[in-house]
Amino acid sequence: MEIFIAQLISGIALGSIYVLLVTGFNLMLLVAKIIQFAYPQIVVISMYTCWGVLQLTDNKFLVILAGITVSIILSILSEPIFRKITSTQGVDINASFIASMGMAMIIMDVMSHSINYGFPVAFPPEWIGGNLLSFGLITVSKGQLYALMGGIIAVLIFFYLLYRTNQGRFFRAIAENRYAACLVGIPIIKTSIFSYFIVGVLGGITAILFSMLIGSASPWLGEFVALKMLAVSIVAGLGNLKGGLFCGLILGILEAMAMGYISGSWSNAIAFVVMLVIVLIKPQGLFGSRI
Amino acid sequence: MKKKNNILKIEHLSVTYGPIKAVKKVNLEVSQGEYVSLIGANGAGKTSLLKAILGIEKAEEGNILFLGEDISRKATDKIVSLGLCLIPEGHIIFSSMTVLENLQLGAYHNPSGFEENLQRVFTYFPILKKRSSQIAGTLSGGEQQMLSMGRALMSKPKLILVDEPSLGLAPKTVTEIFDILGELNREGYSILLAEQNAKKALESSHRCYVMKTGEVAITGFSSELIDDPQIRQAYLGGS
Repeated sequence: MEIFIAQLISGIALGSIYVLLVTGFNLMLLVAKIIQFAYPQIVVISMYTCWGVLQLTDNKFLVILAGITVSIILSILSEPIFRKITSTQGVDINASFIASMGMAMIIMDVMSHSINYGFPVAFPPEWIGGNLLSFGLITVSKGQLYALMGGIIAVLIFFYLLYRTNQGRFFRAIAENRYAACLVGIPIIKTSIFSYFIVGVLGGITAILFSMLIGSASPWLGEFVALKMLAVSIVAGLGNLKGGLFCGLILGILEAMAMGYISGSWSNAIAFVVMLVIVLIKPQGLFGSRI
Repeated sequence: MKKKNNILKIEHLSVTYGPIKAVKKVNLEVSQGEYVSLIGANGAGKTSLLKAILGIEKAEEGNILFLGEDISRKATDKIVSLGLCLIPEGHIIFSSMTVLENLQLGAYHNPSGFEENLQRVFTYFPILKKRSSQIAGTLSGGEQQMLSMGRALMSKPKLILVDEPSLGLAPKTVTEIFDILGELNREGYSILLAEQNAKKALESSHRCYVMKTGEVAITGFSSELIDDPQIRQAYLGGS
């Protein structure tokens, strides 16, 4: 039972990271009409930023600020590139996928060549926090608990913004029917740029929570997470925000359970087998695609 | 003969799609409070003209003056904020949102008068009040057309462009929609209506432009055109 609770906590924490990633990805897909495959890389480089600032100062506020700022800047910097290649009709998957993949590779290369000699970075113990609970080999750290709470709060706030505020309604309007959004006078490009900003904020928050959860970062982490992000969003149904919320959480819990009861090294294989089966049965995703 | 103020004045407007000229040097005017219709066969350029006014299609040449200001190079959101709106053909709505959310989106440029406008829209379309928390995609075709009109009215427009409101609707609903357009006009809204149903359009409007392959072929008072043998032959089925 203790194992179950410990794994459930880390599962929900991991799941909420997936939810944040998938939601940012879906928002880009729906509002900016691009496949932002480099989004997890932006998150990882924000983690690196947090790590870098942690070498200089203990001020957690500054660390958080730096992480979020870098994520916002990178996200907004990518906007002019994507605007050039997106068509006004629908999503040009080919062009934006290639562009964002290139962006992801560049970020990865920068990290593997220039930061910490390309070795993975480990976050200091005061960032992760000590162990709260431990049952034999299984422990729950303070960082995991922060990630859990932070993840749930971030997801709740973000979905509240999307579904209960005017700005969220404008995003959903553009996502659903660009022509109708244009007719009611929503400034499409301005709103789209704002979505890059919001996704940047979301990426920064994700980076902070993720670093607390796993306590390290490596140049290859982004690509690894990107594959899962893409898989979750396809399994849930591309562009389906509520579907992404559900499937992201389930994947996190599933992985944590596999790690606790079977073997850590098999958790990815199990997750992808389950997703493969789902996609075979429901090619449009569990909740239906929205693009 | 008219000394009224122009709300809309179009001069030598052309719109092209690649090699195809959809609108060729069209001149058109709508006065304050006037109800003008635009008739012509499918592909005559009516929709292209309306889209060009709203900045959705680019005007290749010519000017579009709205309340004296040239809007032909402005972005659609700017044009909408000036008080122009288009009720598009085929009831384009946000079908996964509720009726109320659709109306809220219509008020994008006019958030201050929201409650007052909402009540007014509900008096024109009582059915929308009844369905306000329902998902818009579950409405019937006629109700969706009304929602599309209601959403446009939420922006408190000075001139309403209407594109084929009768398309694909039952005759009874079409009559209802035209009644509402007439009522809106009597309350002071200026209307520019593009419609294939020439009889309905001529019966309801003050003045009419007949478009043919991108050009204005005939123009005149609707009450006179409706008796014109040439028009009767070409657009009213010779009846």
